[in-house]
Amino acid sequence: MPATSTISLSKAEKSYIQTGILSDPPFRADGRSLRAYRSVELETGVALLANGSARVSIGREGINSGGGTEVIAASKLEVEDLNEDGVEGGRIVCTVSCSPAAYPHLTSNALDELQEDISTILHQTLAHHSLHPNNLGILPGKKSWLLHLDLIVLSDAGNVFDAIFMSARAALWDTRVPRTRRITYRARKDHAEGQYHIDADENFSGFDTRRLAKATDFELSDYWDEGEVLDGRERWPVCVTLNVISQTHYLDATLQEEAATLLRLLLVYSFPPNSPPSLCGMRLVGGEDSALPDIKDFIKEGEQYAQELFISLDAKLREEDLRRKQKAYTKFARSR
Amino acid sequence: MISFSFFPLPPEPATIHESPQHSLHASHDMDIDLAHHFLHDSNLTLPGETLTSSHAYMRGHGTYVHNEEVIASVAGTIERVNKLVTVRALRARYNPEIGDLVVGRITEVQPRRWKVDANGRQDAVLMLSSVNLPGGVQRRKLESDELQMRNFFEEGDLLVAEVQAFFSDGAMSLHTRSLKYGKLRNGQLVSVSPALIRRLKSHFISLPCGVDLILGLNGYIWVSKHVKENEQEGEEGFDAEAVYSNQNDEIDMPTRSAISRVTNIIRVLASHFVPLSDTIILDAYEWAMEQDADVSEMLHQDNSFALISAVRGRK
Repeated sequence: MPATSTISLSKAEKSYIQTGILSDPPFRADGRSLRAYRSVELETGVALLANGSARVSIGREGINSGGGTEVIAASKLEVEDLNEDGVEGGRIVCTVSCSPAAYPHLTSNALDELQEDISTILHQTLAHHSLHPNNLGILPGKKSWLLHLDLIVLSDAGNVFDAIFMSARAALWDTRVPRTRRITYRARKDHAEGQYHIDADENFSGFDTRRLAKATDFELSDYWDEGEVLDGRERWPVCVTLNVISQTHYLDATLQEEAATLLRLLLVYSFPPNSPPSLCGMRLVGGEDSALPDIKDFIKEGEQYAQELFISLDAKLREEDLRRKQKAYTKFARSR
Repeated sequence: MISFSFFPLPPEPATIHESPQHSLHASHDMDIDLAHHFLHDSNLTLPGETLTSSHAYMRGHGTYVHNEEVIASVAGTIERVNKLVTVRALRARYNPEIGDLVVGRITEVQPRRWKVDANGRQDAVLMLSSVNLPGGVQRRKLESDELQMRNFFEEGDLLVAEVQAFFSDGAMSLHTRSLKYGKLRNGQLVSVSPALIRRLKSHFISLPCGVDLILGLNGYIWVSKHVKENEQEGEEGFDAEAVYSNQNDEIDMPTRSAISRVTNIIRVLASHFVPLSDTIILDAYEWAMEQDADVSEMLHQDNSFALISAVRGRK
């Protein structure tokens, strides 16, 4: 379980925050309402060498670059042989690393544990077969793509899970899979059949050509575009973290608020087009208990928040897609 | 309740904010070899840049000598006093001086001392002999005091103290032997860069909106509910219960919103590198009240720019 907080607060500070949230009307330390997010900035295509990348910051202040939660996500595709580690149809591996600068108070062991925890939550959710894109295979039975999704937490000012899932979704949205063309080796007519099999399996007779796949290798097709988008990219989920103090809950906690909150509920929702939303991940973090009927309500309300988050994130990502095309045009014009 | 925006573009090199007379002084008066400079008309430098020859100048803080050249070791502004060349870092930790007022957070309880995070390079030390103990201001420390150190301060507690002395390794030693110092409650902390805190006559500021401010020179600022002079703990005799209490007083809504408003103002000012003083914070608070804006809206980019230009205009 991830630690509930990485900073320490005095009892007076904790009670100041808790009383503010529980009072009527509720009042938060920076004057936000309970359901309001801080300002979120997002941009895709930040890493040139990646197949897709995104940078998200929550609650950055002013003109200097400090003071917010900042996450960079990048995806990189790698060809895998099915004889070795590969899986038919490709696979996804998510890794999160936390910069020591983001958690100056943590020891290196605690930092390792933290990034392991976050990686597990992200990987278990995103690598699930229900979300798996269909176009990660290259050659059936031979080669497939391995999608590395690497995230780095540059600074943490609270609500790191929402930022991580947002940036993961944005980077996967931005990912382009290179187009491939299959190559078939054909024996020349004047030779005996079976002489030119390149990688025939030892289990089969080299002369038995019926069971061999026709295509034996692939090449990248040369095209102006970087490739096609990942299949089913609308499905990638978003996460909302509900911070629970007795029966009240609030969103987008700052680091101080996280330290004053004993229970956090992570809800990960996917909103596939033309079908009902699905809850693809849920995590209860912290040392408090909560009544079951409350949790039911939280899940119901969490779906609404996630829906709102999803709609505005979707609009932003489509806007970024246009920007990406413009960037590609200017790059093309410059190169000529 | 969520909206996405773009990352702002990085500022053009020409618009980097500097105090005008300073840069003039530096670029005209300084016959330092500026040929290698990446910004020819400014006195900014980056680590590894050659500043001048070590024969003609002495190296100061933020520089080192290699191959008979003075080279910057930090990013910052070049300063020169006669033959001494120093680089003042853009972002630095707090550099303590004796008599400074600081706000700190307890990180560790050790035998007869507390370790305090005061935004310095190393943790500060608060000795058990440097705090006021219950039952009289001046009395001998007993073993029983050592055993109940957590009743005074425990991990995470915030306190205001004064820098008393330095240890041989450069760590600062704090003391809270005044009725003004001690544990903090009834408010929230906001931290800014220590360079932005000016030395003032008093770092305890009472704003007329019912908010008290403690501007720690280490960049930690405590914003809390106003406590009347005659209600301060420990005026007559010494009430340990009250001084080392963890309980907040009743804080009403207008006070809460004033505390939040002041906090947000400080964050906006600090993010635009405006040095903080009581008059500037008060000006900004009055401006914010005139605008009648919601507390949380102040952090939005447009509003923060408006606030900065309004405060700069009033100066």
